[in-house]
Amino acid sequence: MIRIQSLSLPNLVGLLLAALLALGLIRWFGNQTLKADQHAAQVRRAVISAQALAEGVEGLLDQDQGEHLADWITPWLQKPELEQVRILRLSGAQLLYDNRETASLPRRLNKDEKDFFDQANRLKSARQSNIDEGLKRKDEIEISVLPHQLQVCAPLVREDKVVGCVWARLNTVPANPWLSTLQVVFYALVAALLFGLLHGLLGQPKSAGKAWKPFGLASALLLVLVGVFVVLNQAALNSQRQKASDSVHQTYQSEYDQFVQGVAQLGLALDPPAENRWDVDSVLRPIGTLDAQGHLVSPELSSGLSFRNLVLCFVAGWLILIFVGLGYAQRLVRTLRENREAYLFVSPAILAMLVLVFFPFLFGVLLSFTDSTIYNTDKAPSEIWIGLQNFKEILFDFDIMTRTSDGMVINFDNFYWTLGVTIAWTVINVFFGVTTGLILALILNTKNFAFKRIYRVFLILPWAIPNYITALIWKGMFHRQFGVINQVIQMFGGEPVAWFDGVFSSFMTGVMTNSWLSFPFMMVMCLGGLQAISSDMYEAARLDGASRWQQFRFITLPSLKIVLIPAIIISVVWTFNMFNIIFLVSAGEPGGATEILITKAYRIAFEQYRYGYAAAYSMVIFFILLVYGYFQVKVSKATEAHV
Amino acid sequence: MSGELSKKAHLGLHLFMLVFTFLATYPVFWVFAIAFSGKQTLLLADVNENPTFLDRLRAVFPWPEHPSFQSFIDVLSDQPFARWMLNSLIVAGLTTVVSVFLACTAAYAFSRFKFPGQRAGLMAFMVSQMFPGTLMMVPLYIIVVKYLGLGNTWWGLVLVYTTTAIPFCVWMLKGYFDTISIEIEESAILDGASRAAIFFQIVLPLAKPAIAVTALFAFMTGWNEFILASIFMEQETLYTAPVGLRFFVGKYSQLWGYFAAGSILVSIPVVVMFMFTQKFLVSGLTSGGIKG
Repeated sequence: MIRIQSLSLPNLVGLLLAALLALGLIRWFGNQTLKADQHAAQVRRAVISAQALAEGVEGLLDQDQGEHLADWITPWLQKPELEQVRILRLSGAQLLYDNRETASLPRRLNKDEKDFFDQANRLKSARQSNIDEGLKRKDEIEISVLPHQLQVCAPLVREDKVVGCVWARLNTVPANPWLSTLQVVFYALVAALLFGLLHGLLGQPKSAGKAWKPFGLASALLLVLVGVFVVLNQAALNSQRQKASDSVHQTYQSEYDQFVQGVAQLGLALDPPAENRWDVDSVLRPIGTLDAQGHLVSPELSSGLSFRNLVLCFVAGWLILIFVGLGYAQRLVRTLRENREAYLFVSPAILAMLVLVFFPFLFGVLLSFTDSTIYNTDKAPSEIWIGLQNFKEILFDFDIMTRTSDGMVINFDNFYWTLGVTIAWTVINVFFGVTTGLILALILNTKNFAFKRIYRVFLILPWAIPNYITALIWKGMFHRQFGVINQVIQMFGGEPVAWFDGVFSSFMTGVMTNSWLSFPFMMVMCLGGLQAISSDMYEAARLDGASRWQQFRFITLPSLKIVLIPAIIISVVWTFNMFNIIFLVSAGEPGGATEILITKAYRIAFEQYRYGYAAAYSMVIFFILLVYGYFQVKVSKATEAHV
Repeated sequence: MSGELSKKAHLGLHLFMLVFTFLATYPVFWVFAIAFSGKQTLLLADVNENPTFLDRLRAVFPWPEHPSFQSFIDVLSDQPFARWMLNSLIVAGLTTVVSVFLACTAAYAFSRFKFPGQRAGLMAFMVSQMFPGTLMMVPLYIIVVKYLGLGNTWWGLVLVYTTTAIPFCVWMLKGYFDTISIEIEESAILDGASRAAIFFQIVLPLAKPAIAVTALFAFMTGWNEFILASIFMEQETLYTAPVGLRFFVGKYSQLWGYFAAGSILVSIPVVVMFMFTQKFLVSGLTSGGIKG
């Protein structure tokens, strides 16, 4: 039972800390949105400029072979943020324009500029594949963010083909924060002062039953404070965000005006765009729309501080208030002081584990409830929260077989297929490992068997070699054309096998590799167990007329149980999570069919970039192991009891 | 069964063991043969268009046609492999030092003090071994590279490897500390020695064998890891040896000679260390955590 502190001092400190935390979090969320908005606006402005320039250059190249290219660009160079502009024509790898280049242009790109050429080619193939697939999947404008700079590469298009690109580097202005830390501190101090005043007015609680009063007062004050803070400051946040959005409109307008002016000056037959082609995202989808007067209008801004985030901030603050105000903090401090020495000794290790193991774990758990992908890493988890959606998608998708025109096809991406493969993988490997290890141990344990030590040293080798090297070696041996295994098959007149093309053979490559590296462990464990059996037992059994099989069945096996069961338990977990072998040998070929759960999770995270989904996948793996671990403890306790 | 077998049976067993040992060690011989072949291909001998049985046998027999050190020389001079080995050595070495120190202090506290959170702490270490690596990678990347700014540095990897190794090391050392008699320490306390003095001057020297095994385990953790290393280290000069080895035979290159030579250079130290310590590792593994 926690003794509720009737003193108001803990409540006062608690309120102060809670206010600092809650307001600080709100400020952080607000700043995060603002930063994202300002960044987005900067990117949009850069894209608008590049697209506008690209459209002009396309027209110029069409109509006068680019003679007036420099004239067209000169007004464009007036922008203060502009660092460098380059224009490339893909055919002949011709650099048409570069504001930093003093030599005569156009010229051929030189070797150091290969990156630039590759970039243009990427845009070309991206556009082609997007058209072919009818999907907007690959970036048709490349935007890279450097410290204090942005690089945009927009395509030059002619008859739906990319013929070159416009490349620009612009300086970016550092974002303005919404509120200073000082403001947060000020509000928190005001709250503390108010608490002191009100508490003085209301007086100390007389009986223990009223001890809740100061805590209640502090809680109410915290709530009011958060409300007032938001009401007073939200307008400022929104106006700053609006400003960022407006700057995009201004850029669009000035580009438009410049375009019209340029057309008039050079006497070109170019129409300014009647629809929004300039304010686009990286796959050329328009972001804003044009109104009747041809002005750019952005989509409505969403709320900068969502209600959900505000509640989250308040709850976080309130938890601190509970912790300090109700005396838990004092108790913690007391315990820490009493066991100072012990905590001093464990703290470095615990600290390291907290930062790099437990915190990442909790972070991962949090991710598993979100729709986090590479595209929204800068968003707060509360904004991409999707609850149990990921788990539902993993566990309730029973679509293992699909009917197509070629009959039934197995859906290798299905969780249950992969789970099945993983279980088969684990069982088969452990079975092979144990049988081989046991047989070898029995042989090596034979009395007077010569060269025991030599055999042992050689047979341990597979275990001693780092397993990623083993995996790569076997990958080489399974090579279709040059691999040793196919050579041996051909040696005896067989046909070479394309190991990684079939589901079964590909699975077997992993099994062979893994059995190879896991039997020595079992062998060593069994040997240890066998040597612990005293020879008197066999002697006695022989005198009783027990056969060799009976000796094995009733003496050897039961005695081996003590070492075998922990060894099997451990190797089940190892094999279940044996990432390296699958990842390096079969790599899940063909088409992800031989993937096990852990490699699948890796691929979802690092090849599909679906971090949230991958985290949920990993959580499922974790729970499977937890359940297994629970039963493992039960089983090993049971065997200990028997021994 | 330690039954006595006839000579004939012994012979049969030897025959079986010889064949099995040959098959089991074949991949090792094969790597040696490739490494000393001086070539980058997977074949140990050229196979002509209509190879006979003997031609094929020659191509798989693990002895190079023209033994040479060329692959070793090239991998160390033409390729940045020496640099990668050095990176690995530094990372694994630092990992060893940091994790042994942290594990010793923590294990000592878990073994000698009674304090609230003791059991919970030990259990937490154990459970942390079950956290799937794939769940941790994205958060670790964010924490180490984005928050701590330790991407492309040795320390980023060292910290992560250290925390990977700590739980096992703590369990192992705690087990050993438990076996050291507490009486020496008690008399030292009576003589007025501080805890720190006892720890450094009495306990650590007594625990030398266990510390050696722990150190080797920590070293191997850092020496053999390649996934996190390939995620954290983007510059080629900062690759660790495992990342480099995989690079040789990855998607875009088939430099088997370099791979084989490099593998041998990387494996020899660990294999030797392993042979000396596997006994201790086995007992530690079965009593301690459960993770590969």
